[in-house]
Amino acid sequence: MLALDGVTVRFGGLLALSNITFTVEKGEILGLVGPNGAGKTTLFNCISGLVRARGRIGFEGKDMTRLPLHRRARSGIGRTFQIPQPMHHLTVRENLTVAQVFGAGRKDPARIAEILDVMELSHKADADAASALALQELKRLEIAKALATEPRLLLLDEVLAGLESNAKRSFMLKLRELHALFGLTIVIVEHDIETISNLCTRAVVLNFGQLIADGTPAEVFSNPAVVESYTGTAHA
Amino acid sequence: MTELILQALFSGVLIGSVYALVALGLALAFGAMRIINLAHGELVLLAAYMAYLVESRTGLEPYAAIPLALAVVSAVSIALFMLVNMIRDHRELNSLILTFAIGIILTNAILLAFASDMRTTTSAFLQDAVSFGDVYAMRGEIIAFALSLVLMGLLWWWLKASWYGRAVRAVSSNRGAAMLMGINPTRIETVSFLVAGALASFAGVALYTMSVVQPAVGHALTVKAFIITVLAGVGSIPGVFLGAVLLGVTEALTVTLASSALQELAGMVLFLMVLFLMPNGLFGARARRG
Amino acid sequence: MSDTASSRLLSGRSLAMAGGLVVVGLLPLAAGASPYMLGLLISSLILAGLGLSWALLGNLGGMVSFGHAAFFGVGSYASALLAAKLGVPVLLAIPLAGGVATLSSLAMLPALRLSGPYFALAILAYAQIFRILATEASWLTGGAAGLQRFPGLPTVFGFNFAERHGSYVLVLGMVVLCALIYVVIRRSYVGIALRAIAESEDATRVVGVNSTLLKTWMLMLSAFIAGMFGALNAHIIGFLEPDYAFSGIWSVMPIIGAVFGGYRSVIGPVFGAVVIYMFDQVIAKSLIPVGHQILLGIVLAGMVLLAPNGLAGLVGRIFSRTGGKHHARA
Ligand SMILES: Nc1ncnc2c1ncn2[C@@H]1O[C@H](COP(=O)(O)OP(=O)(O)O)[C@@H](O)[C@H]1O
Ligand SMILES: [Mg+2]
Repeated sequence: MLALDGVTVRFGGLLALSNITFTVEKGEILGLVGPNGAGKTTLFNCISGLVRARGRIGFEGKDMTRLPLHRRARSGIGRTFQIPQPMHHLTVRENLTVAQVFGAGRKDPARIAEILDVMELSHKADADAASALALQELKRLEIAKALATEPRLLLLDEVLAGLESNAKRSFMLKLRELHALFGLTIVIVEHDIETISNLCTRAVVLNFGQLIADGTPAEVFSNPAVVESYTGTAHA
Repeated sequence: MTELILQALFSGVLIGSVYALVALGLALAFGAMRIINLAHGELVLLAAYMAYLVESRTGLEPYAAIPLALAVVSAVSIALFMLVNMIRDHRELNSLILTFAIGIILTNAILLAFASDMRTTTSAFLQDAVSFGDVYAMRGEIIAFALSLVLMGLLWWWLKASWYGRAVRAVSSNRGAAMLMGINPTRIETVSFLVAGALASFAGVALYTMSVVQPAVGHALTVKAFIITVLAGVGSIPGVFLGAVLLGVTEALTVTLASSALQELAGMVLFLMVLFLMPNGLFGARARRG
Repeated sequence: MSDTASSRLLSGRSLAMAGGLVVVGLLPLAAGASPYMLGLLISSLILAGLGLSWALLGNLGGMVSFGHAAFFGVGSYASALLAAKLGVPVLLAIPLAGGVATLSSLAMLPALRLSGPYFALAILAYAQIFRILATEASWLTGGAAGLQRFPGLPTVFGFNFAERHGSYVLVLGMVVLCALIYVVIRRSYVGIALRAIAESEDATRVVGVNSTLLKTWMLMLSAFIAGMFGALNAHIIGFLEPDYAFSGIWSVMPIIGAVFGGYRSVIGPVFGAVVIYMFDQVIAKSLIPVGHQILLGIVLAGMVLLAPNGLAGLVGRIFSRTGGKHHARA
């Protein structure tokens, strides 16, 4: 479904991504793992078109590499931002409506109501500007906004971070529900090994912009290079 | 023809050095507060009229007006700074409109006080021609050029070596980190505006001695200074100097080779070309994309 | 996309606003204003239209222009030349001139990528360039000497637009029409997306909004409106020269008016332009014959500092306090 081939990004002297090559299969929930600064968000930026990269990005057999941001969103790639970026002045419902009208190219209030319901935002839908939401609500809005564009591939950047373990567990169930309900393929950035092991069938690991492991969560987390990259920075 | 071109190049460099002083003031205020002071050209103009005032009232050389110009322009600069500081939200947009409004006020205040006539120095000493081989200049132009170089040197030294200068650079590159280092940004911004005002004072007096001034010149100077900062890209002093000289030379050559009616056109076209084709300016990098 | 927009447009408020504008606008006629007064009001309404075009770009496109004189000047020359040299009927030449101004705005597309002050001054540069080109292309424009022989506004069905009352009604009608267009766009999804772009561009693009395209439309529409008002003004004044048609006044007055009235609302720029222009011409000029703009500068600075949302914002705040009603979001 998504094929990355030799994706490389430089910021001045910093090699943020170096020759990243892997594919994501349809229907997968793939964990994207790696210490802070490894390049995970940058990889999402490349896929969604915010950052120009060398190499090739294919999606459903089409070459996305030269497509502008908005065209990628319309082709079925949805994403969230690690730091939520709502459309500040709009209400929650307007946020979703804009996403649907422009991202999915149609208008379907019933579906928006459904998304609001699933993401537990119905009660806030028309209340106030989106910027007035609490952080966890903003994170749910991020996902809702991406869903409104009717993506087939959903890129989630640390949506579970900052939740205590019960909330985390129920949010994981929520993600499973979305995955089934909307027939999604999901790539999720997450630090917690247990979460990845529960949620994902496969994980890829980035460190210093390099892809250092790719396999089932069990394989990946027993890989010595991965363990070292984690223990090397986790306690720093 | 060659002499004409040489002469144009020479005059362009001389006026460019004064443009550089104007642009450095604009860049300094921009560095500290991330706002474009659209009244900066009017500060320069104000200083030029102080020179006119002193010369016409006392018959002294225009440079005798420096203390007065420094006092008046610094006071206005600080007042302007305090007003800009009162802006709460939509800072970028509102500070543009506010400084623009202050520019209108200053231009018209000058118009009210000094009428719309063109003014320039009457000093025979400054207007004497000096020749360098095939090219000529007024003595005033040479003095202004030398003064500009000295001031740029001083500014360079100040930014590099003094505590305040380093603090100014720290605040412009990373405000948050500067505050963590115990630098009070408001104090640094005030100092930046004062120094910008001082540069404007010297530039204004110098301009009066080598060129004609009238109230409308203030706005044109702001635009020129902005063009120069765009040409220069990164706010390094040599970069600004080169950008300013480039603008001065372009204008002078246009006047010599085409017509004086096209002088402004040349600057504007140069500006747009650099803006569109060289997003990082001629000599460096700075983001100006939305 | 337009279905809700037009249905919401028909919902009372905006039509009431338009109706209110017309009624208030016709008051001077009913009160038998002097020709001199009507002349001033016509000029103020020209500035109101220009202010709408400026605010549309600023508010929906998030772009502050310091060079709307560019479009105004192109529109005035285009209409005068179309009517004089090609014999195009004046009432057709005016929208065509809007079209020419739109074409000229395409030259500014590279500037759309620039942020804040860079955009503002790039547009200013265009206005200067256009003015100089109009001066130099004297074979077409008559150069600095100006253009004097071109048709004025016509008489249609016995209604004489060239006469003060007629011109006034025409300009007023155009202002109301443009205000309605502005309202429709603002309420459409395009308008909502544009508001979102102004504050959070990446977040808006990433859900599929082509921000460059939408901004391009706003620039073109803004140029069209400004060009039409330039054309109207040209046929009313009956005389053009580059320094007049591309004067900085056409860039500055709409800004002052819009900021004074409240550039985030639709009615603010209209109301602000009329008040500011009348204040300038009737009060300021009599107090300070030369340099009266100093008072405008003071008003502008005072407004930005004390009431950055303009009179419309002040009124909105009073409403929301007394009625507990939600005033329009920015
Ligand atoms: N726009 C940018 N400009 C310069 N450096 C950047 C930019 N974005 C990210 N980086 C750098 O690239 C590296 C990878 O960052 P990021 O992708 O955010 O890491 P992660 O999401 O894995 O924590 C970091 O060193 C970061 O500082
Ligand atoms: Mg990240």
